[in-house]
Amino acid sequence: MRTYSSLVGRKVETESGLSLGRCHDLRGELTGSRLEVLALCVGRAGYLDRFGIRTRAHDEVSWSAVVRIDGDRIVVRDP
Amino acid sequence: MSKLLNLALGILAAIGGFVDIGDLVFNTAAGATFGYQLMWVIPIGVLGIIVYSEMSGRVAAVSGKAVFDAVRERTGFAAGLSALLASEVVNLLTLAAEIGGVAIALQLLAGLPYRVLLALGVLALAIVLWTLHLEWMERVFGYCGLCLLVFAVAAVKLSPDWTKVGNGFLPHLSQNNPWLYLYFAIGLLGAAMTPYEVYFYSSGGIEDGWTAKDIGLNRANAIVGYALGGFLSLALMIVGASVFLRHGINPEHLGTIALGAEQPLGKIGLLLAIVGILFAVGGAAIDTVLSGAYNVAQFFGWEWGRYRHPAGAPRFALSWVALLVCALAIVMTGVDPVMLTEYAVIFSAVALPLTYIPILLVANDPEYMGVHTNGRLANVLGFAYLIVIMVIAIAAVPLMIITNVGQN
Amino acid sequence: MTEIHLGRNVLDHQLLDKDGRRCGNVDDLAIEGGAGETAEVVAILAGPGYWAQRAGLLGRLAGWIGGSRRVRIPWEEVQKVDSAVWLRRAAPDYGLGRGDDRVRPYVDRIPGADR
Repeated sequence: MRTYSSLVGRKVETESGLSLGRCHDLRGELTGSRLEVLALCVGRAGYLDRFGIRTRAHDEVSWSAVVRIDGDRIVVRDP
Repeated sequence: MSKLLNLALGILAAIGGFVDIGDLVFNTAAGATFGYQLMWVIPIGVLGIIVYSEMSGRVAAVSGKAVFDAVRERTGFAAGLSALLASEVVNLLTLAAEIGGVAIALQLLAGLPYRVLLALGVLALAIVLWTLHLEWMERVFGYCGLCLLVFAVAAVKLSPDWTKVGNGFLPHLSQNNPWLYLYFAIGLLGAAMTPYEVYFYSSGGIEDGWTAKDIGLNRANAIVGYALGGFLSLALMIVGASVFLRHGINPEHLGTIALGAEQPLGKIGLLLAIVGILFAVGGAAIDTVLSGAYNVAQFFGWEWGRYRHPAGAPRFALSWVALLVCALAIVMTGVDPVMLTEYAVIFSAVALPLTYIPILLVANDPEYMGVHTNGRLANVLGFAYLIVIMVIAIAAVPLMIITNVGQN
Repeated sequence: MTEIHLGRNVLDHQLLDKDGRRCGNVDDLAIEGGAGETAEVVAILAGPGYWAQRAGLLGRLAGWIGGSRRVRIPWEEVQKVDSAVWLRRAAPDYGLGRGDDRVRPYVDRIPGADR
């Protein structure tokens, strides 16, 4: 079991080492009383978001593309 | 009570409540040092507090969020906690200065020793806060604070050179002692745009159950109340210029400031001035200590409320008691309240962006505001003042150092 | 079925119990499921014990002052998420609002506390 705070802030990289930025939020879907995590929100928008400036322009990586979570990063499948 | 009557009462309370110890000190000192040359800064400060208050009031009415709810949600726990710490330090300094001011005013009336009056003053404030309904309190302090209008009367009676006064409204930089001039400009702006008033105002709005329907009332209250209060600031500067500059007096004591009303109006002027100072500063102390408690309770999600009896919001009650005790400790060390006021106003100016920016962002966020996001005017003003606020936040401490806290 | 962003719409929002009583904030979220599986938010985490993870040095200091209390609220207890997070039951059922409950007896002793 992980916490939100331990996931957000990590660097996100593809398996081949391409950096996608940092994870700054998680998008989920609320169905009844089930909240499923669908995607990582990554990229430059993250820094702005920290200061409360929200833009639509961020990238997402689907949760199903996550290969492993270790150390200080999240590794996802190459697109 | 009819809405109009309520509005009128609210405005009266706002006038009496607008002037606090920061305004008293900086406006008269600015007049005593630079005559009417800084008049133009006052309307800028008044418009600034109107813009900030209107946005926060609208955010409270539409989204039900008070300032620190919005700060935490928008900027997160870490950044929000820093903002909270900075705001609480500023609140504490301001509160200490105000308690000192209350004790000085009491001393002018009753002549008891200063430290005894400090303790009595705090005790009285605590009892008032604990037992009385805030609405009642606000009205009493607000109306008695109206005694400060004696300064407006004094300003006119002193027959200043109105041409010179008018010229003071044209923005310019003094060639004589420019650093001190800028220091006063920043102090005047910081004293006008006190954040605690905004925290108090928005929390009060939520407690009064404001909804989107009340936005108009909120706007009217803010504009008229603060504008009329701004006239008092102008009066203080005129009195400072007419009475003190002429005699080369630097009003470093609240008693000296009160003497500004005695000169044209005699003993009755002096009495009204002291009573006005007592209630305006006392009322400001109440606003400050409650806003300090609001901020902490809102950030951590505790129950809060000034209409709630203390048993309904125990940690909130404990917070304002703790703030009073700490502020009392600070003033008991014998630090000069006027000097404390200058520090409080300067640091308040430095911390202002930390809560202004989140409010500006939330006021533009349709997720919070629905259709009531900032219109064009609100955004033009909102972003113009963002620049003003950033400039004074950056310049405040260097200027304070360069001018040796205005002692130059 | 609604799309929500955990950081924007859930985290750091006010917790309200079924009576509308303010009982803390969403300090963190517990997520189950890792790589290659579906991930689900299983609980809300609230309490000073969770602050150190959120804010580094300042958070640790705040946590030290606030105490080590940690409250875990299963996500099924969430009734709805709008501007705040509403819970199905009363705060004491979850162990929330204990700070207020602990201070209340002292406050009650002072006359005028329940005017």
